[in-house]
Amino acid sequence: MCEANVYIDRSGQEELLMEGVDRIIPGEDHSIFLENIFGERRVIRARIKEMELVHHRIILEEIKEAPTKRHLEIWLEPNTKHGHFHPGEEVCLELYKGYNMRSDKESEFSNPQAFWVNNGVAEEIGIHDYHGTMKVSLTREIDGMVHLYVREAGEQEHYAATLVEVGHHQHHGMKPAGLPLEIIPSDHSHARLGESYAIQVLKAGRPLAGAEVRVTYSSTQSRDYPHRLTTDEEGRAKLFLTSRGNYLFSVSDNNIISTFTLIKSF
Amino acid sequence: MCKNMPPLELAIQFHGHICPGLLMGIRVAEFAQKHLNVSQDYDEELLAVVETNSCGVDAIQAILGCTFGKGNLIFNDYGKNVYTIASRDKNRAVRIAQKFKEKPEPDSMRYRQLSRKVVLTDEETIERENLLGIIFERIMSSPFEELFTWQEIEFGFPQKAQIYPTVQCALCGEGVMEPRAVKNEKGYICLTCI
Repeated sequence: MCEANVYIDRSGQEELLMEGVDRIIPGEDHSIFLENIFGERRVIRARIKEMELVHHRIILEEIKEAPTKRHLEIWLEPNTKHGHFHPGEEVCLELYKGYNMRSDKESEFSNPQAFWVNNGVAEEIGIHDYHGTMKVSLTREIDGMVHLYVREAGEQEHYAATLVEVGHHQHHGMKPAGLPLEIIPSDHSHARLGESYAIQVLKAGRPLAGAEVRVTYSSTQSRDYPHRLTTDEEGRAKLFLTSRGNYLFSVSDNNIISTFTLIKSF
Repeated sequence: MCKNMPPLELAIQFHGHICPGLLMGIRVAEFAQKHLNVSQDYDEELLAVVETNSCGVDAIQAILGCTFGKGNLIFNDYGKNVYTIASRDKNRAVRIAQKFKEKPEPDSMRYRQLSRKVVLTDEETIERENLLGIIFERIMSSPFEELFTWQEIEFGFPQKAQIYPTVQCALCGEGVMEPRAVKNEKGYICLTCI
């Protein structure tokens, strides 16, 4: 037997990280790659603290991430892996706060308000804390595309908007809600992997040129936004979709941060 | 899922991830469907002869329904990105060959370089995801003739896959398809026991 069990020392507490490790490669920026005889792989930010070769034990010490000064934003995600809702089903979304679709569990919400935009008119709907998760729900019967947004006022003003499909094969687009800063899909409400998806950034209803739009997706392995787009004179930008799951578009201007969640069926 | 999965999604689900090789296979499968005016195979109406066992073959299986298990995927281990797709119903076959590129695009080379690295830095992770996006878009939006050549060919259709009786190996006791067993004085012997 020449493989080892790898343990990690987290603030004085040792815990088993991976069994039967037969390959360890230290990487740049304090990352360590581990692979075991079962083919499992893992990358962890740590340093090697001790190697007890006779006992086949390797002990790593965790390197805590230096807190990065990144802004926080809010965004919506549907409470379904289906990518859409069915008529009669409660339209329920979850509100998150964090960065790059990574929720910052220590952040708290400050009286967010949720709205349903129906024919250009915003109507306040329910948002409630359900065991630590903020849930936005639309209880009435709807069939079609549902435009929702959440506003959180404060030192920084946060907006999170999305377009939810209720039923199948709904195709109409999304009209602006008239937010101080918002992202809306340009051409169509549906998006498919392997196609371009265009958005438009509006500031107080007018196209915002030269704005940086950050784009990420739920399965990204990057800690920062993997894509950054710049809007053209009409406030438009487009991205070729290469990942399954939902995408998040984010834009900021002065003290406003506004996001749009693109919900995909696959 | 209550919606039909688009071909691209079918291939990615089957293969497990997105990579340039799979995307090339998706282009081949979609071209063959259009060229031969056929849809996904149900029971060996289509046949694929592939000359590679790389990622693209999974797109052929997922989109065209020519699969290893059904017996309508024939693998010739020639190490060439060449796919022949044949339709029994239409008595037509098209041979599609990936064009040889003396020098890959710089972004493809960089993508491969990063994919070979076991541990990526934060910047490299972002770079790799962006490169995949660029390559993905190029493969999916390039005119087909820039990527492949094709020609209709005469094709000798083999018989549909046969079902044979299973016999018991006299040594290990396991079942074995009769034509694959060797018969001697002890009875049927499977290839693993010989």
